[in-house]
Amino acid sequence: MKKGEGTMIITIGLVCFVLCTVMFMQFKVVEETDITQLETMRESELREQLATWKERYEEVNAEYEENIDKINEYIDKRESNQEASELLEKELESAKLTAGLTNVIGDGIVVTLVDNVKEVENNEEEEIEDDYQVNKGKVEASDLLTLVNELRLAGAEAISINDQRIINMTDIFELNDYIILVNNGINGRVTSPYVVKAIGDQTYLESALTTKKVGYVDQHSELNITVEKQKNILIEKYKGTIELEYSTIKED
Amino acid sequence: MIFIAILIGCIIGAIVGMNAPIISYTMSGYLAISIVAALDSVFGGITSVLKGNFDLKIFVSGFFGNAILSILLTYLGQRLDVDIYLAAIVVFVGRMFTNLAIIRRYYLDKWSKKIEEKKANRQANKQEK
Repeated sequence: MKKGEGTMIITIGLVCFVLCTVMFMQFKVVEETDITQLETMRESELREQLATWKERYEEVNAEYEENIDKINEYIDKRESNQEASELLEKELESAKLTAGLTNVIGDGIVVTLVDNVKEVENNEEEEIEDDYQVNKGKVEASDLLTLVNELRLAGAEAISINDQRIINMTDIFELNDYIILVNNGINGRVTSPYVVKAIGDQTYLESALTTKKVGYVDQHSELNITVEKQKNILIEKYKGTIELEYSTIKED
Repeated sequence: MIFIAILIGCIIGAIVGMNAPIISYTMSGYLAISIVAALDSVFGGITSVLKGNFDLKIFVSGFFGNAILSILLTYLGQRLDVDIYLAAIVVFVGRMFTNLAIIRRYYLDKWSKKIEEKKANRQANKQEK
């Protein structure tokens, strides 16, 4: 055997060895790859994937934070809206209060007027003779009107006659000298005893009515009038509807 | 003698390859292309032996060089997102086919020449008789 031949044989054998080794390794890998694809992934690959996922996570997180900011903004807006609406509501409340569209409660006085007819009934003959005498002790619409005016003058904030709320559109009139109607006849017939409730400064209201000689009580001495201070008087709201057909708001 | 060396090398390589640890899936792609390159060099070597201009240095350097080059090209292709390994496979397999064709023709020629020689011998024998 020549010297060169030996090295050639060894080299070729080595080459064959390397080739077969690599081939069989590859066969094995290909055989097993499908089952253990994830496990055989290189560490760096996994790291890469991790990085991409992390990036995605950060993106999503940023979006999430943005959304949260937006939500907070909306909440702020909503709160300010709420404040505005609360303000409006308050205004509406006070408007309703002044218009007499809410039940109100407060300290004030209760004036009770009772038809003083019994005294006249005692001597019937006289009564028949004198029509004026008959109606002398009877409460008339004008009496109630005057009373309401007096109370208003004395600073009453809310007034009702037999639970008929007196508002700015209220009318008090008499039908056939017997039937007194309040509030344009919406169940508005009131009869004796007329209980007039008024909320306001108690002493002021009372003294305005009971002043000697010039006060309402002394002026209408022919009627049965009692004036009484009361706490926490409930005055009910106006039960009808207010419809304005001819008036519209004029812009300033 | 040389066939014994090839046989022993192949058997030992098979045994070692069977028992070798599993390499990762991405690496196996590089390995596959290197195998194709190595096979190409092997067939090239056989062709050169038949032609009579076989050089061990060229064979060994081609064997390992082609394998490494193909791996590098594949890696580059992956980096560039171009499937360069396809080009490598096309080239190597194409060359393998041409080499195989050369080998086939060589042996066919040899075989046909032998038959012709036999025929000629017979005819010569007949003429002698």
